Amino acid sequence: MAVKDDIMLSIQGLRAKVADREILKGVDLEIRAGEVHAIMGPNGSGKSTLAGVLAGREAYEVTGGTATYLGQDLLALAPEARAAAGVFLGFQYPVEIPGVGNLYFLRTALNAIRRARGEDELDAMDFLALAREKMKLVDLDPAFGSRSVNEGFSGGEKKRNEIFQMAVLEPRLAILDEIDSGLDIDALRVVSRGVNALRRADRAVLLVTHYKRLLEYVAPDRIHVMAGGRIVRSGGPELADELERTGYAWVDGARPEVERAAGAGALS
Amino acid sequence: MTPAEQSLAAAFRGGAGEPAWLADARAGALAAFRAAGLPTTRHEDWRFTSLAALSTLSLAPAPAPDDGEGPARALLAGRAAPEGARLVFENGRFRRELSTGAPLPAGAVLGSLADALRHAPEAVRPHLGRLARVDGLAFTALNGALLEDGAFLLLPPGARVEAPIELVFATGAAGRAVAVHPRVLVVAGEGARATLAEVHLGTGDTYLANSVTELVLGEGAEVEHLRLQDEGPRAFHVSAVFAEQAARSRLTAHGLALGGQLARSEVRARLAGEGAELAVSGLYMADGARTTDAFTWVEHAVPRCTTTETYKGILDGRARGVFAGRIVVQPGAQKTSARQMNSNLLLSDDAIVDTKPQLEIFADDVKCGHGGTVGQLDEAALFYLRSRGVEEAEARSLLIWAFAAEMVDLVRPAGLHARARELVAARLPAGRKVLEAAA
Repeated sequence: MAVKDDIMLSIQGLRAKVADREILKGVDLEIRAGEVHAIMGPNGSGKSTLAGVLAGREAYEVTGGTATYLGQDLLALAPEARAAAGVFLGFQYPVEIPGVGNLYFLRTALNAIRRARGEDELDAMDFLALAREKMKLVDLDPAFGSRSVNEGFSGGEKKRNEIFQMAVLEPRLAILDEIDSGLDIDALRVVSRGVNALRRADRAVLLVTHYKRLLEYVAPDRIHVMAGGRIVRSGGPELADELERTGYAWVDGARPEVERAAGAGALS
Repeated sequence: MTPAEQSLAAAFRGGAGEPAWLADARAGALAAFRAAGLPTTRHEDWRFTSLAALSTLSLAPAPAPDDGEGPARALLAGRAAPEGARLVFENGRFRRELSTGAPLPAGAVLGSLADALRHAPEAVRPHLGRLARVDGLAFTALNGALLEDGAFLLLPPGARVEAPIELVFATGAAGRAVAVHPRVLVVAGEGARATLAEVHLGTGDTYLANSVTELVLGEGAEVEHLRLQDEGPRAFHVSAVFAEQAARSRLTAHGLALGGQLARSEVRARLAGEGAELAVSGLYMADGARTTDAFTWVEHAVPRCTTTETYKGILDGRARGVFAGRIVVQPGAQKTSARQMNSNLLLSDDAIVDTKPQLEIFADDVKCGHGGTVGQLDEAALFYLRSRGVEEAEARSLLIWAFAAEMVDLVRPAGLHARARELVAARLPAGRKVLEAAA
C-alpha cells in the first residue's frame, strides 16, 4: 500500500444530479501528488459535471459519496475555500465579466487566497511584476490585463487566460475541463507549456478531455474512461492509443459489460 | 386633506414684503397645490410610488438657522475642501459661514436665491417659475408657494466656470418632522459653460426635502448638472429638475439616488432649439423597505435634437424601484435622435422594479429606440470569481460594482467622483475591499 500521505484527491462513490437528472452515478478516483490524470469519455458522460462538482458549482447537487482533498472533506467547502486550499478549475467555457478588469480580478483572487492562507497580500507593483512574468509563459499580450475578464476574447485567448490565471494562483490541484477544445495547434502548444510548467512533485493535474491530442503534449500518468456517470476503465498512457483506435463506441454499445468493468476497474 | 397636506399648506406665509409678482406667484402655486393635493397611486405618474407614509405626517417648516444646532456642520465634517465654489444650505437656508467662494467670470452671479430676490429681484423675475410649472405638479407647486432660499447662478454669454460648483443641502431637525423646499435657478447665457452638483444630505430624522431646479440653457450653452442624493434613512426626498435648451446647447443631467426611505427624482427637459443635445442618466439604489423612483420627461419640440438616456437600478431586500421615462417627439421634430435604456439588477427575490420606457413619436423621420432589462447577478460569473478564490460577498460586490461603475464614473469632477465611489461602495456588502482592489 502506498504512503497515505501522498494521496491528494480521493473520490469514492460520488453521485450528483443537475435539476432532477442524476449525472454522476458513483465515481471512484484517486490521484496522488505529482501525478497527471486524464479523464476521457464521450459527450454527456459526466466529465464536466465531475470537474464542476469538485470546484463547487452550486447547480450540481451531490447526492452521495465523498471527495477528500489533502485529508479534508472537499465537498463541505465553499468554492472560494477550495481555491484557497489550492484547487483550481480551468473552465471549458470561461465566463465573460464585463466591467471587471482582468488583472484587477486576478489580484483580488490572489490576495483573497493569500489572506485565507495567512500570507501577506501582494501590492500592485509586486503583483504586476508577477503577472507580466506569467503572461509571457502563455504568450498573452499584456494589453489583456486591462481588458474586462474574457470579454471579447477569442476562444484561444480565453483558454490561455485560464492557464495564465492558473500560473499566477499556483494551485496544488488543477482540474482543467476541456482546456484543449477549440484550440489550434499553436495555442495547444502554449496551453500545454503552461500546464507542464505547473507540474511538480507536490502538485497534481486532472485533465478532462475528449481527444487524445492534448495528451501528446501533456503526458498523463493515468487515463480514465468515463461513461454513463462512472469511470468504466482506467489504465496507463497506452489507453489513449486504444481509445484513438476504437473510439468511444464500445463504451455506449456495451453498457452492461462496461458496468462490470467499472466495478473491477475502480480498484485496479 | 391629509395631515401632510394640511400641515404643508399651513406653512404658507404669503409674500409679505416681497415684490407683488412673487407674492402672486406664491398664491397661485398654493392654489395649484390645494387643487392637486399630494399625488396618490391613482395618479398615472405615481402609480408605483405610494406616498401613504408621507401623507400621515405633520410637517413643520424648518427651524431658523441656529449656529449651534443645525445639521450641516456635522454632515459635512471630514469632507475634503471643494474644487470650486461650495454653497451650503441648512434646512433650506443659505449658510454663508459654511460656504466657500471661488472666482467667477466677469458678470457672473452665484449666490443665495433669497439674497437675489431681496437685492436684485429683476434679475430673477424673468426665469423663476417659468419652467417649473405648478399645474398638476403638487410638489413643484408646494415648492413655488413655500420656497425661501436656494441657489441662483447667472452666467452671461460666453462665461465659463471651469471648477464644479457644489450646492450642499443638509436637512433634518431632531424631534420633529420638517419640510424644506429649496429652489435652484441656473440661467446660462449663449455659449456659457458650468458644472453644477447638488449634494443632498440629511440626518436620521424624518423630513421632507422637496427641491426644484430650473436650468435655462441659451444657444450653445453647456451645463453639466449632477445630483448626489444621500439623504438620511427616514427622509422623503422629492426633487424635480426642469430644463429648457436653446439651439446647440448641451445638457448633461446625471444623478445618483442613494438615500431616503422614499426618493423621487424627476427630470423634465424641453429641447426647444435645433441641434440641442441632452444626456440624462442616473443610478438608483435601494434596500430594506425603501422606494426609489426615477421619472423623466423629455420633449423634442424642434428638429435635429439628440437625447441619450441611461438609467440603472440596483434593488435589494424588499426595496421597490420605479423607472418611468417618456420621450415625446413633437410633430415637425424631424431628424430627432433619441435612445433610452433602463437596466435593473435585482439582488433579492423580494425586490421589485417597475420600468416603463416610453416613446411618443409624432414625426416620421426620426431615429428612436428604447429598451429595458431586469436581471439578477450572473450566477456563472459569480461562480467563476469564487472558484478563483474571491469570497462570495466580495464577488457579489465586484459584479454589482461592475454594473454601477459606468454611472459612478459619469460624476466626473475628481472630488465628487471620489465621494460618489465611496457612497456607492458603502452600499455593497464588501465595497471597501472593492475600492481598495480598484485603487
